[in-house]
Amino acid sequence: MSLAPLAGIKVVVHASGVAAAYAARQLATLGAACVLAEGGEGSPLRREAPFLPGTQISAAFASLCAGMSAETHDLASPDGRAKFGALLARSDIFIDDTPVADRAALGLDEQTIASQHADLIHVSVLPYGAFGAKAGWKGEEINVLHASGEGYLLPNGLTTELFPGRPPVKIYGHFTEMQGGTAAALGALSALWARPELGGQFVDISCQDAGLAVGAFAIQRLGDGQVEDRYERSFRFGGVIECADGFVELLTLEQRQWTGLVELLGNPEWAQDPDLADSAGRSRRGAEINRHIRAWFLERRVDEVVAAGQKLSVPLARYYTPDEVLADAHEAHRGLFQTVAVPDAGELPVIVSPYHFDGAPLVLAGGPPA
Amino acid sequence: MKPLAAIRVADFTVHNAGPFATHLLSQLGAEIIKIESAMRPDAFRKPHPVYGREGPATFDQVSATKLSVRINLKKPEGVALAKRLVAVSDVAAESFRAGVLARLGLGYEALKAVKPDIVLLSVSSCGQDGPDSHFAGYAPLFGAWGGLSDLTGFADGPPVEMRHVMDHTCGMHAAVALMAALHRRRATGEGAHVDVAAREVASMLCGEALLLSAAGGEPRRMGNAAEGLGPHGVFACMGEERWLSIAVRSDAELTKLEDIVGGLSDEAITAWTCTRDANEAAAILQAAGIAAHASWTTPEIAADPHLRARRAIVEVNEPGGSTRAAVGVPMRLSKGPEVGIHRGTPQLGEDEDYVYGELLGIGRNERCALEDAEVIY
Repeated sequence: MSLAPLAGIKVVVHASGVAAAYAARQLATLGAACVLAEGGEGSPLRREAPFLPGTQISAAFASLCAGMSAETHDLASPDGRAKFGALLARSDIFIDDTPVADRAALGLDEQTIASQHADLIHVSVLPYGAFGAKAGWKGEEINVLHASGEGYLLPNGLTTELFPGRPPVKIYGHFTEMQGGTAAALGALSALWARPELGGQFVDISCQDAGLAVGAFAIQRLGDGQVEDRYERSFRFGGVIECADGFVELLTLEQRQWTGLVELLGNPEWAQDPDLADSAGRSRRGAEINRHIRAWFLERRVDEVVAAGQKLSVPLARYYTPDEVLADAHEAHRGLFQTVAVPDAGELPVIVSPYHFDGAPLVLAGGPPA
Repeated sequence: MKPLAAIRVADFTVHNAGPFATHLLSQLGAEIIKIESAMRPDAFRKPHPVYGREGPATFDQVSATKLSVRINLKKPEGVALAKRLVAVSDVAAESFRAGVLARLGLGYEALKAVKPDIVLLSVSSCGQDGPDSHFAGYAPLFGAWGGLSDLTGFADGPPVEMRHVMDHTCGMHAAVALMAALHRRRATGEGAHVDVAAREVASMLCGEALLLSAAGGEPRRMGNAAEGLGPHGVFACMGEERWLSIAVRSDAELTKLEDIVGGLSDEAITAWTCTRDANEAAAILQAAGIAAHASWTTPEIAADPHLRARRAIVEVNEPGGSTRAAVGVPMRLSKGPEVGIHRGTPQLGEDEDYVYGELLGIGRNERCALEDAEVIY
């Protein structure tokens, strides 16, 4: 069996938030040995709600720190900093989300780390980055989501039709912070790739930048003269469609997909209108098409329309609840979850990774640290 | 120095998710050779009126900095030409439906035969195996399958579809996996077939909810609320469609917020925000140590000095000589300040002199013959 992709690489993460932890989680799941460095009270992530029922175990901590080991380090004391320095000296990558203003006192600033660990890849992960006018700004998920643009643009489609006067709604969980974490993992591995030529270096990640990167098309459209908003951005037809027993997502971008959809609908007379033969015509009459589609889907079950539609190459998906994802046969086949020991909560399935290597899922080294 | 300067990618990806992965790598220095044909150009070179637009507005943002060649993969000679390109590459990347690349004669085993340590990146909606692996999908479907979209929305409303951010999220994750495979190749000499499932990327982003559900909890749509934080939400400010996001985590922040706005209820906060400019209100709260930021429109983002100083927003040149704002690679490297976009979107086949001439050593006569036979087409 092949080695885990990052076998032999050592990572230290000093994380109080989701972004830094998610960066380390990805590297750990890819095979790096990852140490979570915590203060005496433990990482603040351990106190992040919600908690697993009947426990004081944070769901975010348990999910994000699975596969890591943990060590306690007192960075406020000289002895503690020396011990921590010895850990960094044995490591390849250090990921840190300490606010910039607090770093020097803890020996975690860019200059100190670079002077003591010339080959270390030092990754800073902050809401607005370590450089720039907003480097000191505080940012929780909802703030960086709105600072990066996507916050202003959600929701779309059915929700905006139902609740036109409501404020924008956030994406569940820590979407933008996890973009920061992914950018940090990419930055760490890219800098590590160049280490033979360049030695260690400082990688400065901003969750705002990362959120903006994944929302880049809105900036592209601005260059075309179009300022997007959450009402205009809705698909002209399709989107979230209610069935008799749940919701499906429907999106037909290509002609053959429209042809498949018409066949799925039973080749109704309205769909034979020559004006609907091309995508421009369908775009103009999207609201009318939606009325027909919604009426047809509302009388049918999700599984029925998804199975029949996908056979006709119509992009259709069930809106899965978390329980349905956990029970899904496809994900069981793919090994998306691995049962691990979660302290105080027992054996539980924890999500592993969206990556397979050479036909096999990755393997978590274990559950979260006690 | 751009960190990935020595990496070459034969890029068969189309649409968004796969191209965004290689777009990130290109900004970090990898040489990305995008493969299309006049018969089957990337669908995102074409307009998509389902979005209500007539122009190919989305292509540039995932194609800048790449090189472009034409190869007609419907012809055996085209497949052979593609293999010649793969043989001089470190990575091949694709985002067809599972099985399509193999049916073209370019599956992992076929590519290994011409380049034993090749890393093949496959990005798809549902992965390369499993009962749903043949399913077609786009970004909103990834979020639906993965559970993230069902959890997003108002408590009394339907789920909310994820848009192209879901494609790009998948692409950035794919870039991470690809780099991991390259590190393993460096350590062991082994290539890899890296399989990234977009729906599983969506699941990763709600991993805590999935664990909570597995433990007997009931995660659900909760609008703008966040457990453990409060006040927490989006509040109306002065002007049409102007909003301020506020998130309070500690008791100290709570006290400061109350001092500033005169109360802690949503009504009290809105009474304060609705008479203020969103950016000014954010600055007041940040000065007091409270996490707040205006809900920014794209013009505000494009003009922001902080984002420009970080090169998260950059100016790129248009063919006519004008410039426009574009989004850079989301990182700053102390020893690679030049990372980012360095050239615009390639025209179809723009770089064939370099790729076919210099890189593959194809002479003029052979190249003309391939063009006449509609292999380079």
